[in-house]
Amino acid sequence: MTTSNHNSFGTPEPAQQNTVTNQSRRKFLKQTGLVTGGLVLGISLPQTTIAGFKMGEDSTFNPNAFIHIADNGDTLIYCGRCEMGQGISTALPAAVADELEADWTRVSIKQGEGNEAKYGPQATGGSASIRVMYIPMREAGAAAKVMLVAAAAKVWGISAQECMAENHYVINKNNQQKLSYGDLASLAANQPVPESVILKEKKDFKYIGKDIARHNQGDIVVGKLTYGVDTKMPGLKYAAMTHCPVLGGKLKSVDKTAAMQVKGVLDVIEIPRFEVPFGTLGGVAVVADNTWTAQQALKKLKIEWDLGANQSYDTKAYKAQLVKNVESPAQLVAERGDITKAFAEAEHVIKATYTGGHLSHAPMEPNASVVWVQNDSCEVWAATQSPGDIQKVLAQYLEREPKDIHVNVTMAGGAFGRKFKCDYVHEAAVLSKAVNAPVQLTWSREEDMRTGYYHSINAQHIEAAMDKNGNVTGWLHRAAFPAIASLFDPSLDRAPASNLGDVDNHPFFIANYRSETGEAKAHTRIGWYRAVYAIFYGFAFGSAADELAHKTKKDTVSLLNSIYDNNKNSAQAEQVTRSKGALAMAAEKSNWANREQLPSNQGLGIAVHFSFNSYVAMAVRVEVNGDDIKVLEVDAIVDCGQVLNLDSATAQMEGAIVMGMSLSLRTEVVFREGAVVNSNFHNYPVLRINEMPQVNVHFVENDFKPTGLGEPGLGPFAPALANAVFAASGKRYRDLPFKPMSM
Amino acid sequence: MSQSIKINDKNYPIDVDGDMPLLWFLRDRLELTGTKFGCGMGMCGACTVHLDGQAVRSCVMPVSALVGKTITTIEGLSETGDHPLQKAWLANKVPQCGYCQAGQIMNAASFLATNKTPSSDDIDSAMQGNICRCGTYQRIKQAVSDAADEMYKEA
Repeated sequence: MTTSNHNSFGTPEPAQQNTVTNQSRRKFLKQTGLVTGGLVLGISLPQTTIAGFKMGEDSTFNPNAFIHIADNGDTLIYCGRCEMGQGISTALPAAVADELEADWTRVSIKQGEGNEAKYGPQATGGSASIRVMYIPMREAGAAAKVMLVAAAAKVWGISAQECMAENHYVINKNNQQKLSYGDLASLAANQPVPESVILKEKKDFKYIGKDIARHNQGDIVVGKLTYGVDTKMPGLKYAAMTHCPVLGGKLKSVDKTAAMQVKGVLDVIEIPRFEVPFGTLGGVAVVADNTWTAQQALKKLKIEWDLGANQSYDTKAYKAQLVKNVESPAQLVAERGDITKAFAEAEHVIKATYTGGHLSHAPMEPNASVVWVQNDSCEVWAATQSPGDIQKVLAQYLEREPKDIHVNVTMAGGAFGRKFKCDYVHEAAVLSKAVNAPVQLTWSREEDMRTGYYHSINAQHIEAAMDKNGNVTGWLHRAAFPAIASLFDPSLDRAPASNLGDVDNHPFFIANYRSETGEAKAHTRIGWYRAVYAIFYGFAFGSAADELAHKTKKDTVSLLNSIYDNNKNSAQAEQVTRSKGALAMAAEKSNWANREQLPSNQGLGIAVHFSFNSYVAMAVRVEVNGDDIKVLEVDAIVDCGQVLNLDSATAQMEGAIVMGMSLSLRTEVVFREGAVVNSNFHNYPVLRINEMPQVNVHFVENDFKPTGLGEPGLGPFAPALANAVFAASGKRYRDLPFKPMSM
Repeated sequence: MSQSIKINDKNYPIDVDGDMPLLWFLRDRLELTGTKFGCGMGMCGACTVHLDGQAVRSCVMPVSALVGKTITTIEGLSETGDHPLQKAWLANKVPQCGYCQAGQIMNAASFLATNKTPSSDDIDSAMQGNICRCGTYQRIKQAVSDAADEMYKEA
């Protein structure tokens, strides 16, 4: 997926000229003892350190060829992290280009294949790409620039200090002579890789923090960009698949007769469960000469399942049980101060229980990949968030080495955490092996909805104590939810203590505090869903604070500020300051102080949440008529330190608000008799354009290092909305979604 | 001579089962993959193409019903990729993952052919059948409105 850039800033440079005075380019190359053609600068960074980044820090990182400069100056920058619409394959290469002093119009971007030894960690989740790769990618660009400058200095017989790099040229500061990066490429390749580099200062940034169009948008609007579902090749076979509707169930029998008689069907294949993390759940697949035929034949299979131990799973009953589990004492996680005394001496106490349902990621592109297993090779083309996990799982399945599984990472048509898990790729491998051909397996929307890795259903009970001086002095937080850890240890009967770390270390840090984890055994696969536990932690903290403010007749913003001001943990001074800063800006932008002047059926709600190392505050304005909730306007305040790409950062926030509206208002995955009831968008009603509010995104300007942005927009949205609805109508919603469909 | 469909100004014989939805004829038979599969029930709009200029959901449109008809897909919307909607989509930097955007653009193109001065409510009601899970709706609305201005600005 090599694509050219749409430069959105500055005017493009005129066509490249040979700038070596009085010399033809050919002469120049001869004079410097080089032959023409195919000259490439491949930057190989040493595996030890570049400006302090050590191997083994954060994860194994072995920087290698991110940058290729051809002898005509064309520059190719690889992105090792996976692209699913969040814009990382523009943001990181732009950081490289900034330090490289490259002309952005000369830069193409290519998605790196699965190779963590080469590109560093590629598992793209946890809003971590920029946090982890910002400095290494800049260092890669800076190192290349140093080598280009050194090459030019050598040509001119001057020192590097007498040269400067600018917009794809090195300039001789003494006489303004210029050498282009293309002309210097092969010379630079012979320069030593610098052991350390000096990175640019913020004031000199040319691309970092600017509004840059994402590089693939031109291909998208003409239908040329290819996704996991779009891979084509000679001899390709197409497959459709169905899974046991209940986790842990098994295939009892399948009558293939009718399906095999469908014209175009090649085979019907039983796939057993492969019990490794992210391996297939097992099921039955049809391989045919096109997807539609496979889908039709699949419907003709007569399948009997042995549903197994989870066949009575019912989310309505389960949620009611979770509520009981958090409204009575549970297992201690953390404790500080004297919570009993705080409650005994309290002037005001609130107690509230908040709940939420399972969620399905439902990216627009269902799970899809092509795998071709041959005797001596295995090649994958997949929309994925984690090529390394594909390598691991397929290596285990095929009994080969991970490095022998070649993974081409395609664009993902949305992912939101679902495509971190490669069960669908594993299934395509099983089918390819069975029919001895490349196989494209595309899940139907129904399979995607029913065979997910769901966001945890959850319940949280909060009790908060306020003393007679208006200080929040005590806080009990009890949570119960089936945890992602259950994927790896099915015997877990509750969320492990570490999952409450974001609660224990919340910037509220109330002095007298206790957290507990209640029983919640998983009966389906639980997985990372955009923002993960921050969805319900944010909802509980933000709602409870607002409830306490109303009960004590305080302004929610003032109450939140007093809680932060009472945080005496010096290690959290930065969190307190930045949380308060985002909150203050939300109050200002939303005209919080004058909210009483809104029409009587309108309300303004506010919340702030710290997650994935970023701070987001939101103010939501709603109009409520009877049961009808209309979201009118959202102000989102983001403190993620240094912004890389202003445009994609803004887009992430807009997207988080849309997803927040879906999960706050309507979407919920319901299980009955062990199986998912939802099947498609009619009963998983994600937000549509007619409900889109006005969204205003504002960034806090500061010099902190960049932090994540894919997920942090979810945490504050639901509580800000619930608080707004309460302000407008007096009705308090404590269960997500507020208005579930009756199924 | 077999029956055929005209797609992006080329005639293609219908050499598949007549029940096959146009979506899969485009994607798997002709390898025109710009038209996307999203739901298979006509509920998400990712597969939107034009049938004689009208936006339709190709996932629920059997090829047998299209004999002699004219189909336009995203690949054929504009030879040079500069339809006012495509330009407006780029100017507003609309796409995130982009998977739904071909359907969004095709739907909007059909809508703007008949509504020269769309209001915000008009856009909402015309575009409501097209889901974007990334949440680009605010930019889609602006881009549709900008494209209408561009297409029908006073001469």
